[in-house]
Amino acid sequence: MIERLDESLPDIGVTPQTAQILAPGPKSVALLSDLYDEPDWMRQARHEAWQQYEAMDLPDPKEEAWRRTDLKAYPLDSLRVVLSARELDGIYDLPPCWDYALAPVDQVSGALVHCNGARTYAIMRRDDALSGVILEDLHIALKTHGDLIRGTWMRGATTRPGFNKFTALNAALWHGGTFIHVPAGVRVARPLQSLVALDAEGGTNLHHTLIIAEPGSRVTLIQDRVSQDSQPELNAEVVEIYAGAGAWVRYVSLQHWSEHRYSVTVQEARVAENANFVWVAGSLGGKMTKDFLRSDLVAEGARSMMAGFSFVHSDQHLDQSTYQHHRAPNTHSDLLYRNILKDQTRTVFYGMIRVEPEASGNTMAYQANNNLLLSDARAHAIPGLEILANDVRCSHGATVSRIDDEERFYLEARGLPKPEAQSLIAQGFIRPIIERMPLAHIRQRVEDEIAERFWL
Amino acid sequence: MALEIRDLHVAVEGKEILKGVNLVVERGATNALMGPNGSGKSTLSYTLMGHPKYEITRGKILLDGASLIEMTPDQRARHGLFLAMQYPVAVSGVTLYSFLHAATSAVRGYGERTPTATRGRLNSHLMPMREFRQELNEKMAFMEMDPAFLQRYLNEGFSGGEKKRAEILQMALLKPKIAILDETDSGLDIDALRLVSEGINTLQKDLNMGLLVITHYQRILNYIHPDVVHVFVDGRIVKTGDAKLVDVLEEQGYEWVRQGMG
Ligand SMILES: Nc1ncnc2c1ncn2[C@@H]1O[C@H](COP(=O)(O)OP(=O)(O)OP(=O)(O)O)[C@@H](O)[C@H]1O
Ligand SMILES: [Mg+2]
Repeated sequence: MIERLDESLPDIGVTPQTAQILAPGPKSVALLSDLYDEPDWMRQARHEAWQQYEAMDLPDPKEEAWRRTDLKAYPLDSLRVVLSARELDGIYDLPPCWDYALAPVDQVSGALVHCNGARTYAIMRRDDALSGVILEDLHIALKTHGDLIRGTWMRGATTRPGFNKFTALNAALWHGGTFIHVPAGVRVARPLQSLVALDAEGGTNLHHTLIIAEPGSRVTLIQDRVSQDSQPELNAEVVEIYAGAGAWVRYVSLQHWSEHRYSVTVQEARVAENANFVWVAGSLGGKMTKDFLRSDLVAEGARSMMAGFSFVHSDQHLDQSTYQHHRAPNTHSDLLYRNILKDQTRTVFYGMIRVEPEASGNTMAYQANNNLLLSDARAHAIPGLEILANDVRCSHGATVSRIDDEERFYLEARGLPKPEAQSLIAQGFIRPIIERMPLAHIRQRVEDEIAERFWL
Repeated sequence: MALEIRDLHVAVEGKEILKGVNLVVERGATNALMGPNGSGKSTLSYTLMGHPKYEITRGKILLDGASLIEMTPDQRARHGLFLAMQYPVAVSGVTLYSFLHAATSAVRGYGERTPTATRGRLNSHLMPMREFRQELNEKMAFMEMDPAFLQRYLNEGFSGGEKKRAEILQMALLKPKIAILDETDSGLDIDALRLVSEGINTLQKDLNMGLLVITHYQRILNYIHPDVVHVFVDGRIVKTGDAKLVDVLEEQGYEWVRQGMG
C-alpha cells in the first residue's frame, strides 16, 4: 500500500558522508541554482532577493511588531547553508527522536522528511499518488511543477521577499522545501506529514513550504520541526498556503527547535471563495522565536480557524504576530491562541484583525489570546482592530491567569502531588487546541512532550 | 484505627470558625454530622483534608495515630483520607479518565512522576492501562455511569447529581480508610440517592471504611445507618446521640438544641 517513490536526489556533488557549508553571498546563491539545475526564473528570483537582502536593514526595533523581540540577540553572523545528501534506506534509519515525530505509516497518506535541508525520505500511498496528489521536495517539484510554482512564488503580503530581511534571505538561499499539490476535487484520504530535521551540523534552516490545494480539494499537512543544535543557529522559514475555491485545508505546524535556535518565520494562507482553512500551530522549542501568521480571506465565503498553543520554559522568548485579513463579504475568521509560561519566559502576541471596506456584510472576526502563568513569567498581548467595513461582527480578548487554587486543591485532595496537579491543569488549559490536531499519535506525542517539559 | 480530632480550632481570614471540635471516627463506623447552615461543617471537612485557606490555631488531627496537620492534602489522600466535596470543582481540559487514572495511580503508589521516571519509561508513574480500565469499567457499571463521561472534562457541565456520583466513583477507586461525605445527598434524585447510598454501604463493608456523613436530611440516613449522630452548632459539636437523635431534629429543628445549650 505504501510505495517508495523512485525519484532520487539531484546530483549536487555531495556524498552521504560529506557535507558542504556555503557562506551566505551571491556566489552561494548562484551555486544553489547550479546544484539544483534551477529554471532561469528561480535563478533570477534568488539573485534579486539576495540584492534585496543586502540592501535591507534589519527590522527597526521601533516598529510595533519588533518592539519586544531584540534581534541583537540573534546569531546573525553565523549564517551557514549546509548541503548534505542523506537519502535514507528506510524510516528505521531515522534517529529515534525523529522517528518518534512521525505517525505510523498506515495512518498517513504520505510522508516527507528533510534532514539538514536534504530530502532524505519520502513515501506516498499509491491511491493518493494515482489521484495526482504530490508531496515532494520543492527542488524536485521545480522540475515537475515549475510553472505552477512560478505562478504563486512569494507573492503574499508577508511572504514576498521584501517583507523583511529574513524573508529576503529565505528567497535568496532557500534550501530544502516541501511542496504539496492537490488537484481539483481530490480528497487526500489521510494526513500528509512533513518533518524538517536538523542535526548538530544542520546550520541555518531556510526551509520553504508551498501548499497548493486546488478548488474543491481536501488535504491536511502535519509539519513538524526538530533540531539538535550545538551552537546558536538561525531559522528563516517561509510557508505559503493556497486554499482554492471550496477547498478544505488543514495545516498543523509544530516546532520543537532546540534551545539554541533563533527563529523568524512567516506563514501565510490565502483562502479563496468558500474555502476553509484550519490552522493548528504548536510552539514548544527555540530560544527566541518570532512568527508572522496570516490568513487572507480574499473571496466571499472564505473561512479560517487559527488555533495555537505553546509551552515555553526556562528563558524562552516567543513572539507571534497574527493577522486576520478580511477582503470580501461573508468571511469568517476565528483565532484562539493559548500559551503556558513557565520559569522566566516571555510571550508576545500581536493580534491584528483588519476588515477592508469591501468585506461589508455578514463578516465575523474573533480573536482570543489566553496565557497561563506558572511563575513570574511575562505575557504581553496587544490586540489590534482595523474595521473599515459595516455589518461586521468582531470581538477580541486577551487574558492572563494563574492556576486556580481550588482546582489544584481538588486534584491534590485526590492524591496528586502539587507539581502533578499543576501539570494536569496546565495541560488541560491547552487541550481544546491539542484536540484540533488529527491523529492520536501526534496528540499523544505532544502531550507527552509537554508533560516531560513540565519537569525540566 | 481511627480518625481523631482533638480540640480543633480553625480560623479563616482571621475569623474563628471552628471552636474546639472533638470527634473520633472509627474504622468501620458511621458518624452522622448535622447542623445549621454556616455552622462550620464544610470548614471542618476542608480542614481535615488540608485546604490551605483554613488556619489551624489549636488542636490535633490524627489518622491511625499519625498527625495529619503537617501533611499536604495529597499525602493525606495517600494515607487513606477521602473527602467527597459539597461543591466538586470543575477542571477544564482534564478528562475524567485521565484524572482518575492519575489519581488512582498516585494513591496506589505507582511512584511519583519525576524527570528520570518519565525519561526512563513514559508514564511509568501510572497504573497499567488495561488493569485500570477493567477496574474502572466495573466501578462505572456499579455506579450506573455512562462511560461517555470519561471523555468529558472533569466535573465541567456535570449536573449536580452527576458530580456527586462522580465523587463516589472516585472514592470507589481510591479506597480510603476514612471518608468524609459533605452533603453527598444534596442534588441526588430519589433513585440516585438509593444507588449512591448502596454503593457507599458496599464500599464501607469491603474496605472497613470509617464514615463521617455530613447532611441536612434524614433521607440519606435511612440508607446509610449511622452508629452515632453529632449535632454541630456554631463551630463545635453540642450533642451526640444515636440514630434516634435524627428524628428529634427532623421534628424540632436546631432551635431545640440551641435552647438546650442556652
Ligand atoms: N474561605 C472562606 N472565607 C470566608 N469565610 C468563610 C470561608 N469558608 C467558610 N467561611 C465562613 O465560615 C462559616 C462556616 O462555613 P461552612 O461552609 O463551614 O458552613 P457549613 O456548616 O458547611 O454550612 P452549609 O450547611 O450551608 O454547607 C460561614 O459563616 C462561612 O461564611
Ligand atoms: Mg457545607
